[in-house]
Amino acid sequence: MTRRADVVIAGSGFGGAIAARRLADAYARAGEDPARIVVLERGEGFAVDSFEQSMHIDHLSRVYRLIQGQGMQVVTATGLGGGSNLYLAASLRAPREVFERRDRRPDDGPDRRMWPKAISRATLDPYYARAERALRVRRPSWDQVSRSGGVWAALCDAAGHTCDRVPLAIDLDRCVDAKWCHTGCAFGAKNSLLTNHLAIARRRGVTVEPLREVQSVRQSSARPYRYVVTAAVVDAATGRPTGGLEELECKVLVLATGAMNDAPILLRSRAALPSLSEHVGRHLGSNGDHLAAVELDPGRVRDVLGLPGYAEFHEGKPITTMTYDFWAGRRRDGTRFTLQEIFLSPLTGILYDDGRGPPGDPSWWGLQKKRSLARWSHRIELLAMVEDTHDGTFLPVPAPHGGAVRPNGGPVEIGTFTYELSDQSRAVRAAADAAMRAIAERSGVGRFLPMTETEGVYCAHPLGGCRMADSPDLGVTADDGEVFGYEGLYCSGSSVVPTSLGVNPSLTIAAVAERIASGLVRRGADLGLPLK
Amino acid sequence: MTRREVLRGGLLGAIAAALPAAAAWERTAPAQALALAPADATLQAFFDTVVPGRRVARTVSGAVVHPGAIAGADPDPGAVEADALALAQHPRIGFDALAPASLADLELRAAEQGGPFLALAFDARTRACVQGLDFGNPLRTVWEAAAAVAFTAFCGGAISRTQTRADAPGWAVMGLPGRAPHGYPDASYGRRLARERTRKGYLA
Ligand SMILES: Cc1cc2nc3c(=O)[nH]c(=O)nc-3n(C[C@H](O)[C@H](O)[C@H](O)COP(=O)(O)OP(=O)(O)OC[C@H]3O[C@@H](n4cnc5c(N)ncnc54)[C@H](O)[C@@H]3O)c2cc1C
Ligand code: SF4
Repeated sequence: MTRRADVVIAGSGFGGAIAARRLADAYARAGEDPARIVVLERGEGFAVDSFEQSMHIDHLSRVYRLIQGQGMQVVTATGLGGGSNLYLAASLRAPREVFERRDRRPDDGPDRRMWPKAISRATLDPYYARAERALRVRRPSWDQVSRSGGVWAALCDAAGHTCDRVPLAIDLDRCVDAKWCHTGCAFGAKNSLLTNHLAIARRRGVTVEPLREVQSVRQSSARPYRYVVTAAVVDAATGRPTGGLEELECKVLVLATGAMNDAPILLRSRAALPSLSEHVGRHLGSNGDHLAAVELDPGRVRDVLGLPGYAEFHEGKPITTMTYDFWAGRRRDGTRFTLQEIFLSPLTGILYDDGRGPPGDPSWWGLQKKRSLARWSHRIELLAMVEDTHDGTFLPVPAPHGGAVRPNGGPVEIGTFTYELSDQSRAVRAAADAAMRAIAERSGVGRFLPMTETEGVYCAHPLGGCRMADSPDLGVTADDGEVFGYEGLYCSGSSVVPTSLGVNPSLTIAAVAERIASGLVRRGADLGLPLK
Repeated sequence: MTRREVLRGGLLGAIAAALPAAAAWERTAPAQALALAPADATLQAFFDTVVPGRRVARTVSGAVVHPGAIAGADPDPGAVEADALALAQHPRIGFDALAPASLADLELRAAEQGGPFLALAFDARTRACVQGLDFGNPLRTVWEAAAAVAFTAFCGGAISRTQTRADAPGWAVMGLPGRAPHGYPDASYGRRLARERTRKGYLA
């Protein structure tokens, strides 16, 4: 028999957790039981103490999904709490210019603001503030800036640039600078969603069902129930679908499975939801992620930068400093970028050229590369976040399950999308490379190691696929997250974001999710929820 | 479609075709090979070309290394010692599905250098791999996947049990201790190192 719920929320990252928590608050205020709000999460039901400092393939399989698509590799998370378990907790408001951007791919409709009219930095600021409070965002002092971030600041300074400390969703008193955020903090110091929104939602009584992978949606005619959600049951031991399916009928459905999954779910449901916008599955973006590394000469670090040396790439918080000098004051859309010091994981060692010739010699593998890896501890890694266009498109026929083809119980998936950089996306990346190289190689302090061409785009910040817009001929959802043509069907989270952001996206995703959640609470009674 | 897209499309097809084999692999679960199959010896030689290392008879976990696999081009441990082959065979990686295609093309390139791959000297192996990883090779992405296995074993410590440099030779080479059960007490220079543009860390 099909079970019934008031609200089904698919996914428990920022989009899902914030919807669950704010609805639970509203139910509590109305004296109603939030158990009729159900969160379905494909991964394990993690607790704060579920995480280890481990890159072992078994642990990676529990927490990561590494999606290899055509032209882009995407790093995503799985399990209760989504990306917040693995993220590096950089929590930044996006600059005002982001929301005013008009640049886009040449084939992407008429000249216009790419964000819906109702959303600007000013209208989002109250939601940013709410998100910062809930995620307990704090700015580290210079004493709490890691050496890798310090070297980057000193390099920027020596080149005449400013460099700012990055606000973090980390309990700075608890953090022991282990630099293992990327497999989940084992010290309970990171303010993941398990420590705030999800904890509160659960305490209030929201039903959380892990190991349920939402596959498709169809309409229900039993008003006030509107949708029937089909979810595959996932086996805890193997992480694979057991073959079992469950159905849940609901009044409101919130898709919050992230940019790599929301669009595939809707594409799979297209026959049952025939009025969906043509834009479903289009405009997948990378947030302009563009990585590089710098190999430092410890002697020059002493002599030129006046620091006691540098060999501690593996210590500290994984993100602490960034420069806005290539953003601020630039008038032309599509040319700006920020440059941030980052530590994604030791695995990114594969990504960089060793930076030496002669042409024709192997540069990202082989003997020279190996020797460059032997100087790994003298590196810093940089993330440029550039104003690119959203260059990805999901194939019209999605994978049989989930958001991508998963050949086994491991972390690697084959993405069913293509990613082809526009001229603008290439040009702004080249400009970021030139800026990083100039800062890094000034006075011979460092050697610039560019991202190898092999990998296409490497991205930890996928966005879009169900972008919000002012009308269905431009996007999939309205500015309140509701899918055009389908009352009570929402997307919330990274999938609705229409442009790259110039900063790490989670706080903007959270702010947009806060805005969507408050709209949903306001409309709740109309949609048949027990709210006044 | 760009050339790149065509190539990646090729990989997608190759992987899709190999999926049933991957599923079968998952069912049978690999037994630790007592002796190395010839294909495995060649794979080790490939991994040693991608991340070269010192000659050893056993990997860090004690698995057999084919005597001719490691060319000894670098004095420090390489991908073979870091158990790249075991990772390739791990059921959660599933590289076995791609191995036949990858090895067939490898031997084709090796023949142009005068050998079976395993019999070639390090420089000739490198030349064969330069060709295999060239954008003009329609099977390039299969080679990339194979190279990724070598790096995942070496840089990622993906089958290290202790998650320390004790059984992650790549981390020992890189200078990465691995687990940091107590964190690092002195991880900052402890002073302001640049002028800041903003008051709160983000732009208006
Ligand atoms: C290693 C890493 C580091 C990062 N560091 C930062 C950082 O420092 N700062 C920053 O701002 N951002 C960072 N990010 C990005 C950030 O984590 C994401 O942008 C953010 O988590 C996206 O939020 P979301 O709610 O849209 O999706 P997610 O957080 O990805 O949540 C989606 C959830 O849905 C689940 N799911 C997927 N498909 C289904 C399905 N079919 N049914 C049910 N559940 C499903 C997933 O398992 C997941 O739990 C990082 C990401 C990674 C991977
Ligand atoms: S750096 Fe801080 S927050 Fe990150 S894993 Fe270490 S202790 Fe946790």
